[in-house]
Amino acid sequence: MSTDTTERHIANEAARRAGAYNRSLIEASLDPLVTIAPDGKITDVNNATEKVTGLSRHQLIGTDFADYFTDPGKARAGYEQVFREGLVQDYELEIRHRDGHMTPVVYSASVYRDEAGDVIGVFAAARDISERKRAEEEIRKLNEELDERVRRRTAELEATNKDLEAFTYSVSHDLRGPLRHIDGFSKLLFEEYSADLPEEARRHLSRIRDGTRRMGMMVDDLLNLTRVGRKELSMQLTGLSSLLEEAIGDLQPEMAGREIEWRIGKLPFVECDPALLRQVFANLLSNALKFTRPRERAVIEVGETTQDGRTVIFVRDNGVGFSMKYVDKLFGVFQRLHRPEDFEGTGIGLATVQRIVHKHGGRVWAEGKLNKGATFYFTLEAVESRPGESNSLLRGAA
Amino acid sequence: MIRQDVEILLVEDNPDDVELTLHALHQERLANHIEVARDGEEALDFLFCRGPCAQRSFEQAPRLVLLDLKLPKVDGMEVLREIKKDPRTKAIPVVILTASREESDMANGYHLGANGYVQKPVDFDNFRNLVKQLGLYWLVVNQPPPAVAFEVK
Repeated sequence: MSTDTTERHIANEAARRAGAYNRSLIEASLDPLVTIAPDGKITDVNNATEKVTGLSRHQLIGTDFADYFTDPGKARAGYEQVFREGLVQDYELEIRHRDGHMTPVVYSASVYRDEAGDVIGVFAAARDISERKRAEEEIRKLNEELDERVRRRTAELEATNKDLEAFTYSVSHDLRGPLRHIDGFSKLLFEEYSADLPEEARRHLSRIRDGTRRMGMMVDDLLNLTRVGRKELSMQLTGLSSLLEEAIGDLQPEMAGREIEWRIGKLPFVECDPALLRQVFANLLSNALKFTRPRERAVIEVGETTQDGRTVIFVRDNGVGFSMKYVDKLFGVFQRLHRPEDFEGTGIGLATVQRIVHKHGGRVWAEGKLNKGATFYFTLEAVESRPGESNSLLRGAA
Repeated sequence: MIRQDVEILLVEDNPDDVELTLHALHQERLANHIEVARDGEEALDFLFCRGPCAQRSFEQAPRLVLLDLKLPKVDGMEVLREIKKDPRTKAIPVVILTASREESDMANGYHLGANGYVQKPVDFDNFRNLVKQLGLYWLVVNQPPPAVAFEVK
């Protein structure tokens, strides 16, 4: 053997070894690997590819790469993109086994070149993502179930709530009839036969009438509360200042003969149901007027402030206030913190305020101190305010 | 001959309500001739001069109908519909006098052509005052429809 031949032999042997080494690396890979010619024909595959397609390398080589996917068009677009751009990563495809079984995979592929640097094919490696897909599917299903359960519960709750509202409504409504009759006939008895009645009988009669009057107010307020609960909001951009003015106008009779100092600040324009919001003001102001009655000079303040970046409307008075110990009771139906002989009321006004504010997605709360006045605050929307938009809570600020 | 025209037709099924309403009207001396219909059918018989009221004529229409909504047999809305769709009766002023303040009742009432809608207050003083105002307005202040208004052209 000449030296020349020997050297060539050694070189060939080295090349053969390198080839065998590379081949064994490729075959050892659990990922399906494949090389594709510029015409889209498969030029080589590894063991994993045979396994995932159920076809032998002889059956695969020379056939169209795109044929082995559920979406051949997408497969073709994938290797064309590699030829065009040199590289593609995380390209999702689904390999079809000859028995019909599908394997979801992501491809990473790049071109490879000959010694001259010309592109001669694409080297594509697939990663089986069945497990990930299963997990994703599982999460999706769980989420769907959760959504469904939340939907069902919400619907149940809404139905229960509606039933309760309807019940309250019909009870209050039907109670009004007999109440009217008690009031009417006791009044007639008093008017027409009062002279014949002993003093004590007259007193009993006036108690009956007080009772019916109180019950009448409670029934009417309850009806109003359920009406608020059932009403669909009709939202429109409204200036709170004008609503406040209207509410104050409605309260004129309660102000007669009293010294009242109004401190009205600038109020924003908000998206709200004006009729309902006017009622919020009316109830809060009526309370303020009522509980400042012992004051020689009532001071009632209405304005806008910011708390934790949110726009808040407040109504403040210098009235008899309340102990914060009972603040939780303030907004409950029929809850009262004062004796009826001191301050009349049904205990439904603030419950109605809360119902309206909640319907608008807002929050209402109160601060007070016994004999040192009270402040009621409310917001209208439960969205976070953005920096630089002090009025984002109350959309469309002035 | 003085025709004993009915001034108010009170359509009301509840005897307590009938008595209280009559009491209020008499006390205020606003109406001397009040006819009471205890259900929708009686009211329609009276207004359409049929059945037991066959001897009446359409020109003898009441000056005002006070109409309750919850009525036996034919309900108040139906009575209102009948009155307002017939040219012989549609000119009669009808004021709904009811316990309901349901928005749907108010809307239906007005759509059917009611001339007013009044909720019965619980407080008898308020009720009496309200009946007085109704009587004053419809029997004294308001010009009633002329006889030709009840003729079919």
